[in-house]
Amino acid sequence: MPFKEDKRDPTHVPLITPPNLPIEIKRENEFGTLTSKTYLHQVKSFEGKEIPDPVIDTPPYYISIITYVNYLILIIFGHVHDFLGIRFQKNKYTDLIEKDGMAPWYSVLESFYVRRLKKRIDDCFSRPATGVPGRFITCINRVSHKFNEYFTYPGTTRMCLNLSSYNYLGFAQSEGKCTDYAIKTVEKYGINPGGPRTQIGTTDLHREAERLIARFVGKEDAMLFSMGYGTNANFFNAFLDSKCLIISDELNHTSIRTGVRLSGATVRVFKHGDMKGLEKLIREQIVLGQPKTNRPWKKILICVEGLFSMEGTLCNLPKLIELKKKYKCYLYVDEAHSIGAIGPNGRGVCDLFGVDPNDIDILMGTLTKSFGAAGGYIACDKWIIDRLRLDLTTPNYAEPMPAPVLAQIISSLKIIIGDINPGEGQERLQRIAFNSRYLRLGLQRLGFIVYGNADSPVIPMLLYCPSKMPAFSRIMLQRNIAVVIVAYPATPLIESRVRFCMSASLTKEDIDYVLRHVNEVGEMLNLKLNSGKSSWDGKVQRWDIEEVIKRTPEDCKDDKYFVC
Amino acid sequence: MNTATNDTITGASVLPTSIPIPSFIVTTYSYIWYCFNVLLIKVPGGHYVVDYVKKSINDDPYRTMIEISLILYGIYYYLSKPQKKKSLRSNKPDLSEQEIELLIEEWVPEPLVNDSPLDMKKQGWRLEKIPIVLDGGIRSHIKVSRNNDNEIYDNVLNLSSNNFLNICNSERVINKVKETIKNYGVGACGPAGFYGNQDVHYNLEYTLSRFFGTESAVLYGQDFCVAPSVLSAFTKRGDVIVADDQISLSIQNALQLSRSTVYYFEHNNMESLDKLLSELNAAEARENLPAIPRKFIVTEGIFHNSGDIAPLPDLVKLKLKHKFRLFVDETFSIGVLGSHGRGLPEYFGLKRADSIDVTIGSMATAFGSSGGFTLGDHVMAYHQRIGSNAYCFSASLPAYTVASASEIIDIMENDNSEVTKLHRLSEILHNTMTSDNENNDLNKYVVIKSHKDSPVLHLELTAQFRYNKFHYTKDELYDTVSNLQKKCSSHIIFDPYENEEKFLQAIVDEVLTKYNILITRNTFLVKHETLPIVPSLKISCTSEISEEELSHAVKQIKETILRLCSSL
Repeated sequence: MPFKEDKRDPTHVPLITPPNLPIEIKRENEFGTLTSKTYLHQVKSFEGKEIPDPVIDTPPYYISIITYVNYLILIIFGHVHDFLGIRFQKNKYTDLIEKDGMAPWYSVLESFYVRRLKKRIDDCFSRPATGVPGRFITCINRVSHKFNEYFTYPGTTRMCLNLSSYNYLGFAQSEGKCTDYAIKTVEKYGINPGGPRTQIGTTDLHREAERLIARFVGKEDAMLFSMGYGTNANFFNAFLDSKCLIISDELNHTSIRTGVRLSGATVRVFKHGDMKGLEKLIREQIVLGQPKTNRPWKKILICVEGLFSMEGTLCNLPKLIELKKKYKCYLYVDEAHSIGAIGPNGRGVCDLFGVDPNDIDILMGTLTKSFGAAGGYIACDKWIIDRLRLDLTTPNYAEPMPAPVLAQIISSLKIIIGDINPGEGQERLQRIAFNSRYLRLGLQRLGFIVYGNADSPVIPMLLYCPSKMPAFSRIMLQRNIAVVIVAYPATPLIESRVRFCMSASLTKEDIDYVLRHVNEVGEMLNLKLNSGKSSWDGKVQRWDIEEVIKRTPEDCKDDKYFVC
Repeated sequence: MNTATNDTITGASVLPTSIPIPSFIVTTYSYIWYCFNVLLIKVPGGHYVVDYVKKSINDDPYRTMIEISLILYGIYYYLSKPQKKKSLRSNKPDLSEQEIELLIEEWVPEPLVNDSPLDMKKQGWRLEKIPIVLDGGIRSHIKVSRNNDNEIYDNVLNLSSNNFLNICNSERVINKVKETIKNYGVGACGPAGFYGNQDVHYNLEYTLSRFFGTESAVLYGQDFCVAPSVLSAFTKRGDVIVADDQISLSIQNALQLSRSTVYYFEHNNMESLDKLLSELNAAEARENLPAIPRKFIVTEGIFHNSGDIAPLPDLVKLKLKHKFRLFVDETFSIGVLGSHGRGLPEYFGLKRADSIDVTIGSMATAFGSSGGFTLGDHVMAYHQRIGSNAYCFSASLPAYTVASASEIIDIMENDNSEVTKLHRLSEILHNTMTSDNENNDLNKYVVIKSHKDSPVLHLELTAQFRYNKFHYTKDELYDTVSNLQKKCSSHIIFDPYENEEKFLQAIVDEVLTKYNILITRNTFLVKHETLPIVPSLKISCTSEISEEELSHAVKQIKETILRLCSSL
């Protein structure tokens, strides 16, 4: 039955017909042209130096208290709501009550947070979009009903400045070399993946892309997976078992935790970025060995992320390598957010710290983010990859990566390396470095609390109160800026935040626009809480917006203004 | 202290002489009590405490003594807490710095992955046998290279692809893909919760639920990740899962992650299942739990490992009778079974919404696109959007994959010719393989495990032949491997199994070199499998192949199998 536009269900997201724009405007909407050569910044390698521990700015006490009270009210109201609702409005709570001798899908308590807290701000999540998530993202308008019980879609859209997508290098484009190559590949290879890699799913494109990635990250060999989450979730059981130990940063991504759980290995957690604690833990574990039996561990794997996606902090790679060598552990670095996005040549944390990639045993990364594709990779020495091809479940059982995605990876990688369009990759890298630093320093100077490292394209700005999250998100949407808000469980309970994801596709003027609006909204919501603890001169920062825009573009290139 | 009665403040003069108490204790005690008194009276309401203490000392000095000793013990207990850890650390030796250094120096870890050259020699041949498709997509006729381009075969008939329907290669779908890439780019650049889900994603969910007749659908990035993520989103400790004992590895992983109590029933044996469910329900009734646990029956539509089909009507009867929910992995049956490819329920003439509670499926098999999905009711789907890790914490599928899947389903809704063609081919595949076996010895060597309606034919050696030639049985393999798994061995290898795998690969090689036909082994990993399996061969047909070509090829394969088996 053909889908008729006038008969569509108003609660369904409509398919938006793409607007017919002239190609120059379309291109500009996806990737803004650089307005001045001064808005570039070439990142320098740290040349093996360690980074100082991050300085975490803290808000005044009254903010923490308000935040707790805020949660307390929400929780009390939620429980009262549930208590009365389940007794007097049974028909509305059928999903929580046993029915015909069957347990409900989830229990009252299991789903409490989702039903009573998250549901109130559901309109800030899963906003449907259409088109390319480039410099601008086209959000589909929706109207919330009955406190986000359901939404209706009038069929209109809103073009927002995109600070939400993981489009670090701006490869989310529908015009240009990458798209041309992807389309050419569709014609030649089609889209079907065939079957598992070891049975039929390997094509010469896989081989080419794997070699390119290995070359790019500086390892002997690499292998590709069609899903980034799945790369980690089905990785660790190939070589770890319950007699092995994983030492994991407390903020590691869920995919790593799932993978580790599946492997059955024992996990010990160290505090985020705490290298002293890590060393103490390693020493203790080598001495103690396995619990109960006290036999020595078969192997110890240290698991960290290159760039932590919620904090914007980097792992202390030189120190990790030192520890790993000293104690004969293995090191696994998940570069989901850092590959492509940081380092003088975009080659991730190794590139930025100036360390030899061969000092790290396993480099993992995703291709969804900087490369505008999908999936993940693992890069190691050749003998390890060969063994993993035999022992990993994914290549033997799961679908492989489809051809158009491979084409996108190959072409975007070649652009970054400089094999295609020499200079373009360089410009993208310099733009994201400048943009990230500019927004970060600008926000700090305006008086906001911002976490993370100077070069991180993830810029989390702290909101604290849960009620300020939807307020911030909604007001920014009204001002045509798409942002992502994150709260518990992805962050500690009181540290709700907004996460700006920088992109090379934004121009300096776009960031001015963002700064002006964040400034106004921050004023409105009392978000300027910076105590000066994390600023270079130790002073409370409350700059005027004009002053910030005038002076920051030059200042942000200087490392001295960034504490870490 | 109990002897010092109500007159404590005034001093020791009234103490009975029979019990000698050193005077300093008495004076200190009196002094403390006096201060306490003065202090307490100043506090509003403090005199109640004073009165209570006085009264209790007066009425029941022994109780006071017990109370005081309890308080003292409490203080002692509180202060001694750090020391208490000692007992927990009892196996933590008290070592000097030097000894610790020595231990650290002594420790020799195993290599990161198994580096034994012997193991690599036994298992590494598999790497050379991986076919690499050159200069084009995975179609019915392909150019294949193996062993680092040392072997190259052109115009090979492909009988190992899972892309059963081949609708994805139609002009209409390819145009849709190109159009979508021109409007959306390739990647979605974000997870579903953060602007990653686009209009095309939502619309594929509507299309899927319309096509399969369910309330809702949820999309996932990869088929292999769906089951572990969905099942563990709905189960916790204490929940009950009853699973078929031939489920695939993806579901085995799901059961491991589910934290629930898992029971297995004999493959497709409904009596065994009925009995097990009755027992479980009886046991549950005895335990008198405060709430009913969540209970699932887990099985597959067309089994990954054998190509068998689950008897849905009986399963539905049992699930209703025993109040279980039914979870079915339809990765291989979607797009294949039923007149329009709507899967298992259509095949048995049932409605999906009434029969299966959770369906998981793949868009990478018959649909020929990418990703996986779940089908079910609204409540279940909504909970996955927050509770299912592979959905929440992973980027959305590229727009073109979902747009093409929508297009493919649209085509299937209106035109079931490809599905019908596939049914005919499956029949030919099966019939050709089984026909006139009385005249030859095929039955002596191999058994066909798959159902006649499965487009994938699974062949394994007969137990007798395996025992004669490779000297092991399925149970022996299972026991050896699970023993090694339990011991956490880094070298999970069973030589007779390796030999049989090599023999099956020799059949694959012979078919490829002699007849230019690509079939494949089922690439099982014994290291990960937790249920009994044996090596098997897989022949699959896609609707791109003509009937004559297929029956001709199957005859050639059959002839090769016979020849190699009889000469072994």
